[in-house]
Amino acid sequence: MTTVAPLRTPAAAAPAAGVARTKRRDWAGYAFLSPALLLFLVFILGPFLAAIVLAFFSWDMLTPATFNGVGNFTEMFSDPLLYKALANTFVFALASVVSHVAGGLLLALAVNKVMSRVLSYFVRTALFFPFVISWAAVALLWKYVLDPTFGIFTYYFDKIGFQAPGWFTDPAWALPAIIGIDWWHTIGFTFVIMLAGLQTVPQQLVEAARVDGASPRQIFWYVTIPMMSPTIFFASVITFIGAFQIFDPVQIITPQGGPDDSTVTVVMYLYQKGFESFQVGYASAVSLLVFVVMMAVTMLQFWGSRKWVHQQ
Amino acid sequence: MTRTGKTALYGALLLVGLLMVAPLVWLVGQSLTAEQAAFDVPPKWVPDPFTFDNFGEVPGLIPFGRMAWNSLQVAVISTAGSLLVSVLAAYAFSRLSFRGRDGIFLLMLSALMVPVQMTVIPVFVLMRNLGLVDSLPALWLPALINVFSIFFFRQYFNTIPRELDEAARIDGAGHLWILFRMIVPLSGPAIAAMTILTFELSWNNYFGPLIFLSTPEHMTLPIGLVTLQNGQGGSSVVVFAAITAVVLPVLAVFLIFQRSFVTSIASAGLRG
Repeated sequence: MTTVAPLRTPAAAAPAAGVARTKRRDWAGYAFLSPALLLFLVFILGPFLAAIVLAFFSWDMLTPATFNGVGNFTEMFSDPLLYKALANTFVFALASVVSHVAGGLLLALAVNKVMSRVLSYFVRTALFFPFVISWAAVALLWKYVLDPTFGIFTYYFDKIGFQAPGWFTDPAWALPAIIGIDWWHTIGFTFVIMLAGLQTVPQQLVEAARVDGASPRQIFWYVTIPMMSPTIFFASVITFIGAFQIFDPVQIITPQGGPDDSTVTVVMYLYQKGFESFQVGYASAVSLLVFVVMMAVTMLQFWGSRKWVHQQ
Repeated sequence: MTRTGKTALYGALLLVGLLMVAPLVWLVGQSLTAEQAAFDVPPKWVPDPFTFDNFGEVPGLIPFGRMAWNSLQVAVISTAGSLLVSVLAAYAFSRLSFRGRDGIFLLMLSALMVPVQMTVIPVFVLMRNLGLVDSLPALWLPALINVFSIFFFRQYFNTIPRELDEAARIDGAGHLWILFRMIVPLSGPAIAAMTILTFELSWNNYFGPLIFLSTPEHMTLPIGLVTLQNGQGGSSVVVFAAITAVVLPVLAVFLIFQRSFVTSIASAGLRG
């Protein structure tokens, strides 16, 4: 690059109209972007569009695909297992968002109050430990922890006077068990986000409220929560997106979908259709539904957030 | 805070911490217990009789070393490759102007909403046509494009003063020099964060290997673990030994890099 550009405008700002842009500058941009753009087209945009097209076909990956019109979609709307999977997934996602956001926030507030460095380090590490472990290991481990005969959970649950249900044989308890395992695995993530968000609450504001005679409860509801609202919002969006795609633990612990299909989630259903019974077109239609639902809920969250998220 | 309030808070947090690590302590303990005594009721927290034999049995059931090597290869290539692709693209988005830049950026950003389950079927068909099913490139090739990482770096690069670029350009520096000798070295925390996050995601990935890999010799550790537990012949303690062998190194690495790991999660979270 030997030409000295005349006072380049910051790239982020839109270039003023009429400023001649040399071909050379265009070329450099495309060159730097090309690996990412090529990979993006091949592995994201292309497959995304292909999935939409496939949703209108019948295909088993072996014989030629045949056009099916909206057949997959009409089949979807009269598919009881899909409704079951959607209901399970929504229950899971809702429970996940509420328990992660509330739990993460409470734990962050509590740890923030701890003066002992040793205790604070121990709790932060203990909370975050499970998050770095692969789902495969977590799911297998918990299958044993909850085992009705020799699981430690069953044993101590019994000790404190409860009768542990057959977690993965009782349709009422299979999904709650997965919700609990998921909480154990990912609460560290929410906790860290909340703890970081808590550091952004201006202390002058808290002090000012205290000087004005606000009680700790009032400070919590009228200072901490509003100042934390962008973090809380972010945590709930990201938890929802992750929870709606839950697959690994349900597939590993209950590969058949649990008692009475009580743990079938939409992504698991999609996997079964696409990669076990090779109904590729139908699976693509389901994946399109997952995408649309996720988009819709996220947009709803953003829309709703204008009412409660504090804008700085 | 009152004295009792403080005691209650510390006690409650200690209890939460202990409950969180209890399953892991039990895991390691059982994996070191001789088979006939493992999984006794009431549960034992100290291995007795103590033995390493369970670990010795793992390689007879799954090619553990091979799987670890596969996991490492995929994680290293995915991480290094996606980092390179991302910083190049982020530099283009942050520092260069070209037609269609903002449109392409928005298009890529909106792809963050596309779940991987939606693209996986066409990608599977593509890999099959390329003859890459049941091979490691099927895992790391799609991992080279990481839209979040591009976005993350672009945000970080935007915080680096442009006057530095101007100065370097007046001195005759080209874009590659500016990017790799100036901007990347100034982006240490962002690079560390993305390295840790990408590596962790790849190392722990289960969905991809489940779709693409079928022979044990080509498998990565997470899928290998599940095959071991589904397979015949291995007793539960051996499964525990295998899980421990997968989990302990990860926890050790985490303890060493804990600070940067947690900071990277927090910064990715707050920035994202």
